[in-house]
Amino acid sequence: MKKVEAIIKPFKLDDVKDGLSSLGVKGLTVTEVKGFGRQRGHKEVYRGAEYQVDFLPKIKIEVVMEDDLVPEAVKVIQEKARTGQIGDGKIFVIPVEEVIRIRTGETGNEAI
Amino acid sequence: MRSAPEELKESREHLVSQFSNGTVSANFRTSYTEIIDHYFRRSLQESEAGQRLFADKERFAFVAVGGYGREELCLHSDIDIMVLFDAKISAKAKELVDEIFFPLWDLGLDLGYAVRRIKDCMVLSRDDFGVLTSVMNARFLCGDSPAYLALMAGLQKKIIPEKATAFAVWLDDRDKIRMDAFGDASYLLEPQLKEGIGGLRDYHHMLWLAAAFFGLREPKDLEYQGKLSSGEYQELRGHLKFIWLVRNHLHYLSGRRNDRLSFEYQEEIARRVGFKDKDGFLAVEQFMGRLHASMGSLKSLHRAFVRSHISARSGTESRSQRSDVASGIIMYQGEMFFDSSTVILSDHCLLMDIFDHGSRLDCTLSLEAKRLVREFLFLVDDAFRKSDQVIQGFLNIMNRTNTFETLEQMYETGFLDAFIPEFGKVKDLVQFDAYHTFPVGRHCLETVRFLKSLERKQEELLLDIFSEFQNSEPLFLAGLLHDIGKVGKSHAHRGVEITRNILARFDYDKDATEDILFLVEHHLFLVETSTRRDLNDEKVIVQCARTIGDVKRLKMLYLITWADSKATGPRAWTGWIANLVQELFFKVLHIIEMKELATPQASESVEHTKCVVRSLLADKMNRLDPEEPFEIMSPRYLLNTAPQDVVRHLTMIQQHREHANNREEAFFCFEAKEDFVEDYWEVTFLAKDRPGVFCDLAGVLALRNINILSAHIYTWRDGTAVDILKVTSPLDRIHSVEVWDRVKRDICSIFKGRLSLRHRLGKKAEPSLLSNPKKPSHPPQVNVDNESSDFFTLIEVFADDRMGLLYLITRTLFDLKLDIRIAKISTKADQIVDIFYVRDLEGQKVTDKEHVNEIKRALLYEMSEG
Repeated sequence: MKKVEAIIKPFKLDDVKDGLSSLGVKGLTVTEVKGFGRQRGHKEVYRGAEYQVDFLPKIKIEVVMEDDLVPEAVKVIQEKARTGQIGDGKIFVIPVEEVIRIRTGETGNEAI
Repeated sequence: MRSAPEELKESREHLVSQFSNGTVSANFRTSYTEIIDHYFRRSLQESEAGQRLFADKERFAFVAVGGYGREELCLHSDIDIMVLFDAKISAKAKELVDEIFFPLWDLGLDLGYAVRRIKDCMVLSRDDFGVLTSVMNARFLCGDSPAYLALMAGLQKKIIPEKATAFAVWLDDRDKIRMDAFGDASYLLEPQLKEGIGGLRDYHHMLWLAAAFFGLREPKDLEYQGKLSSGEYQELRGHLKFIWLVRNHLHYLSGRRNDRLSFEYQEEIARRVGFKDKDGFLAVEQFMGRLHASMGSLKSLHRAFVRSHISARSGTESRSQRSDVASGIIMYQGEMFFDSSTVILSDHCLLMDIFDHGSRLDCTLSLEAKRLVREFLFLVDDAFRKSDQVIQGFLNIMNRTNTFETLEQMYETGFLDAFIPEFGKVKDLVQFDAYHTFPVGRHCLETVRFLKSLERKQEELLLDIFSEFQNSEPLFLAGLLHDIGKVGKSHAHRGVEITRNILARFDYDKDATEDILFLVEHHLFLVETSTRRDLNDEKVIVQCARTIGDVKRLKMLYLITWADSKATGPRAWTGWIANLVQELFFKVLHIIEMKELATPQASESVEHTKCVVRSLLADKMNRLDPEEPFEIMSPRYLLNTAPQDVVRHLTMIQQHREHANNREEAFFCFEAKEDFVEDYWEVTFLAKDRPGVFCDLAGVLALRNINILSAHIYTWRDGTAVDILKVTSPLDRIHSVEVWDRVKRDICSIFKGRLSLRHRLGKKAEPSLLSNPKKPSHPPQVNVDNESSDFFTLIEVFADDRMGLLYLITRTLFDLKLDIRIAKISTKADQIVDIFYVRDLEGQKVTDKEHVNEIKRALLYEMSEG
């Protein structure tokens, strides 16, 4: 099992979500996050006062899936989240040791 | 025969099963109290220890205290009992307790007991008001009643007269603690039914205060002693009955004493108390609306009771003289009163006037005045709602700093609903989710509260914007009315018509009305756009700017968006959302202030172009999506191109796509058309965009001795470059067709990598005997501007015109890895003024100082050559 974690632009969430559900991904977690990468923050000046934005708003999605789904999922996220410009985000694939469904105690792939 | 505990267990189980199947509901409390009472009476009678105590002539009584004393037991409520001894506590008391109370614990009931002497009880009550409140509600159960009566008389004579004022202050503190700990239950989504503000405690406080100040013995005395009107008392009973019923269901469902009505139980309880989905409202939404209304009434009744009957007596508020405020309205001890009830009948407008004057003097309405407002609501008819004097009063209130506080009183008395009936229809609506904290009406008031808070608060940017408004009345009205269409989907649109009617009734200023309608319709626009669209796409921002139209509306919209979100709940306005909305705000502001793409004229002209294009393409149009062909076009292109040309380009791009599908990457469209009148040619060039493509075109034209007079280059969203050039006529006018064919062949060769422009043009530029060695009369100039656009760096070049200059400039930009997205080339006399909108290869503006200087140096160097 792997966890696929992706940082994407906020307005791409719906596209990515639809893409993943059409692959048969069963659930995902979405978090509103802020941060920076190569894309820098920016500064606004209004009537002499400066408004600095250091961290840019992004969306983080996390999905745990069976190994064989990973290549497709990564491809879909990349396709759907891409604008071709800076700040499109990153995808991480992380090994998952175990999954337990709290309600039933099922483990492994059944619990995803 | 069954033992007393067995009997209790069975009766209790029977009662619970009756409650769960609905045969017993509101009368559960009295039945349950009777069952418990019966247990104590019977078990004391049967108790050996009890009999011995009686035989010893020990005088003692069983006294129900706290909620049990008030006969308010819910299923899992604590049962508090006191064993009261007259003079001294008998040694046998412990046996008595073991015998009678232990079985209750075995049954799983929450029993709390105390064994006290009358004297102890008095001392404790004097020092600890918590004890006092429980003893105040003491009810005799069995045993020796004179002991009980002695205690009550002692309290009434000795403790209460001495402590009443301190007690009132203590209760007031309790209210503050409750507010901090549990919040205002009358609008929270997961209200605390007992301790929350608006919960049962509000009622208890009234009872205790009345007991302390007026010698109240039982709840009915509130009415008998004239502290509440008969209508108010009936209303109070109704609300209490409902809240108790809900609380009992909550105890039943959660299987324990639980007073916080969390989401998980709300749907089930709504069903159990008989609500059904209807008219598009979920049962649970109606249920919570009803509950909030009940708790809100309880809260306001309690507050008004304290203000009218207690504050003045206990001296917690400064006394002041009675003064006539206006004809029919009086201010007395910091509260507003009507002169008499009959004055309202002779002048209906007083109903609004009293709020107006109250807000002016910063005084609240007295309980009496609120009661009269409620009773005379029937006077609020269409004529009243249209009366100039009334409307003026209302607008006065909107402009004061205490608007929120005044609206809240109008809301509590039902006057706001009567005055704006449209508001009444949505005010109790609850949205059953974790996102919205308040029912709609309360949410609207909170929105006004946040807008008002701008007058004195910290949010710097918002404050700056707010302080620019001379007249913020329309903003507050929009805040109050923004959700008025909230019955089902697309409430913002529905709200527009409703708001229009209301403002028409007010005969409100036409321009301000349009602003308010705009705000109502678009109050979700900024949040939706900033979370769902790409803010780095200029087209998105331009469309926003066109929708919004002018700076004033943008600013109002920003303020409303903030206040609306803040008033929705803590999750609706996070730093995350705030960043996105602020970014959108600034970008739209800049576009509008640039006065190029989003002026009303620009919007009109673009709409006209679209219209003509649609009619020209009528047979090919996608009827479902009339915007479709325009989606890919850049905003500047649509603004600057004639409809016929748009159609021509669309046809060209169609061919281009077909070729692109055949993987002919190098394909391009090229058309040259002579303008006979002005003696120049117009060249249209269309190809797949890549860095350097314009440079190639400029180079080829220079190679064929064609000078570019002006150019517009655009990049469409599908990656097509569209260049429209005005150029000088070919030198060989007679064989112009051949020249253009050669140009096309050259472009083709370049695309295929078979022709080196650098080399060819270099050769061509070698000084010939014939060329005029005239030096430039003006030194070239280069400006790099990062202020004018949020999306591009603008590079402005001024220089003397000469053949091939444009090629040089664009090649330099290409060498610096800059992507030209838009260019405006023009020639005035022999001077060129070129503006290039560029971005780096990552799509960012060029802000690095070194990079900017390098651009300037490189361009100046290239242009000064030759």
